[in-house]
Amino acid sequence: MLLDVWSLALIVCSTVVAFLMVFAGRSALRVLRFWNPASDDNRQIRLENEIWLTSTLVEYGLGVQIISLVVFVLAADHFAGSIPGAMCATGALLADPRGMPTLLIKLAGVFLYGFWLLLHQLDIRSEHYPLVRVKYIYLLLLLPFLALDIGLQMSYLAGLRPDIITSCCAVVFDSSSGGGPLLLRAPQVPVLQLFYATVLLLAGLAVFLLRRRRITAAIAYSLGWCWFFGLAMVAIITVFSSYIYNMPFHKCPFCILKPQYHFIGFLLYGTLIPATFFGITPVLVEPFRHRPGLAGPIAIYRTAALKISLFLLLVFTALASFPYLRYMLTGGES
Amino acid sequence: MQILARQINVLDYALSSLWRRRMKNLSVLLVFTAVIFLVASFQMTTGALTRTAERVLENAPQITLQRMSAGRQVDIPPEYAARLSSIYGISRIVPRVWGYYFDEVTGANLTVMGLATDRMPMGDQLHLALASGSFPGPGSRGSVVLGRAVNDMVQARGSHLLSLFRNDLSMASFEISGVFADATDILTRDLVVMNIDDARDLFRIRGDRATDLCVYVTNPNEINTIARKIADLLPDTRVVTRPQILKTYRVVFGWRSGFGSICLLTALTAFIILAWDKASGLSQEEKREIAILKVLGWQTADILAVRFWESLLVSGISFLVGVTLAFIHVAFFDAALFRPIMVGWSVIFPPFHLVPEMTAQVVLLIFCLSVLPYLAATVIPAWHTASVPADSALSGA
Repeated sequence: MLLDVWSLALIVCSTVVAFLMVFAGRSALRVLRFWNPASDDNRQIRLENEIWLTSTLVEYGLGVQIISLVVFVLAADHFAGSIPGAMCATGALLADPRGMPTLLIKLAGVFLYGFWLLLHQLDIRSEHYPLVRVKYIYLLLLLPFLALDIGLQMSYLAGLRPDIITSCCAVVFDSSSGGGPLLLRAPQVPVLQLFYATVLLLAGLAVFLLRRRRITAAIAYSLGWCWFFGLAMVAIITVFSSYIYNMPFHKCPFCILKPQYHFIGFLLYGTLIPATFFGITPVLVEPFRHRPGLAGPIAIYRTAALKISLFLLLVFTALASFPYLRYMLTGGES
Repeated sequence: MQILARQINVLDYALSSLWRRRMKNLSVLLVFTAVIFLVASFQMTTGALTRTAERVLENAPQITLQRMSAGRQVDIPPEYAARLSSIYGISRIVPRVWGYYFDEVTGANLTVMGLATDRMPMGDQLHLALASGSFPGPGSRGSVVLGRAVNDMVQARGSHLLSLFRNDLSMASFEISGVFADATDILTRDLVVMNIDDARDLFRIRGDRATDLCVYVTNPNEINTIARKIADLLPDTRVVTRPQILKTYRVVFGWRSGFGSICLLTALTAFIILAWDKASGLSQEEKREIAILKVLGWQTADILAVRFWESLLVSGISFLVGVTLAFIHVAFFDAALFRPIMVGWSVIFPPFHLVPEMTAQVVLLIFCLSVLPYLAATVIPAWHTASVPADSALSGA
């Protein structure tokens, strides 16, 4: 399917990200080699200018990466039209063993590039640029990751052929009969209880952390978000999605992205992913607070991230629960 | 609020900066619009053609059965239909005789179809597809219904009968009982529909054999299961299902549009090089402007923001104009530029209107193929511009 126009769009996105990141990597090498904050010669001034270039390049890279994630899911949905058995992105992603890993890598990419930008924003808030080495080593480590992303995506697109027979989401996520690769047998009621209990716990922790600072609570909050991200995905697949489709046996995390369901999936994932990012990252930047000039910016970020993650958590819970509650309240079930 | 106000000021400055260099920006804008127009037209044409194919196939039989011998299609005997009666879920099986007839005078290929209208689902409603006349009844021999192009050919000869030659050059004449409406042109323009026995006589097909069997299924979800059962029961037949044909169309159109897009990518690459070049070439005056801004206290990040807004404005305007032009090209001119690449060609070719679809997906696709590479290509020259040291430019003036 390399010649399909959606594949071309993905390849163009990858080329753009690769181009931006390779340029950023080149300037990372220069900065790592020649950076000397004590000096004020021409080279140091040039390097300080280059920091702006790298950050702009990574910002663009992150933007394109987010678009490429959306394009990848939509492309898989489009490929489903030409693969026997596939009804939505699920079938197309499972038609080749590299489909799901590519999606997960792209998702991880959004978190990793986002974290680089966070480090950069903290770094430029201190006049000493205390994170220069850390963030540029991190940037160089992102390059092999990017190569893996592009390699997997290309081999997935090249391996996808219209004569492969695959399964549709109704079979893959079916909990009543046996045998799908992503089979989730989780019963609905415990999943819902766990989901709402975790939401309450996270909200409580966030409010507590906004008033008092305890490192153990902060670590618990971050770990809680890691757990909640997985749990939210399970809850979307096993419970919430079928209320969005109004069909008890239709459970799919991709069909909610379709226009006939008012693109509600984009809202759900568009709140869940940033919420998780802001939930996890405060603890990750905590070790840097003793570096010169960073204590203030990190404290500001911690408060802002807590508020943002709490707000997005509530929005996500409301969005996910709405179809479920509407069904319950309008008398669908006693 | 402060961030928003700052960005609005930067946007204001970017707009005035674009206007000051309007000739330079206009050339980029025009070329970029042309590139987006080409990419978008191609996408919309493909989408519209796929949709047309889907619409046409809505009325095709769910399963078509053809008998194969030595890798070629041969006539199918009526016993085959009888053997399928054991499969539960088939609502009816209708034999069909069809073939091509080469008209030596005009050089056109006509499609001749012999139907048993009394056995088809909704066979009694076929007259709804006609502009004039009526469908020949089940028993009536010697009359035909013609597509508009075939009817025009017959009228041009000044005749009221359609005369066709059998294999042995003996002549068979048919009375014209009806003409198809122009709304069905895409399917019927070159079509001659007659009684199935007349078609057998014309093509010299023995007894009550047919060229293929159309199988109609009660539950559309069972098409694939029933097709598999038929293939098991009659191993010497080719079983073609409607979803299969549709998927094949999608693959073919997808492939063709991908191939076309690759050709267009060369145009895009050329444009990107032009954009890079235009963005890199910094005049003395521009250098001085940046130097003055820096002296006034602007940071590198602020100038980068101005350049980002400029790129976004140029690509945004080109995108809107290009996509709108492409929509007009496909909707009102039936994609005159790309039609020959995407569709076939013959003496009698049905004229059909394309209806472009503007979905969020198509817009995103065109955006990824055009705007993203442009933004990426202008970011490094923008940084070069932004990092001009304040003193050097002013002292050089």
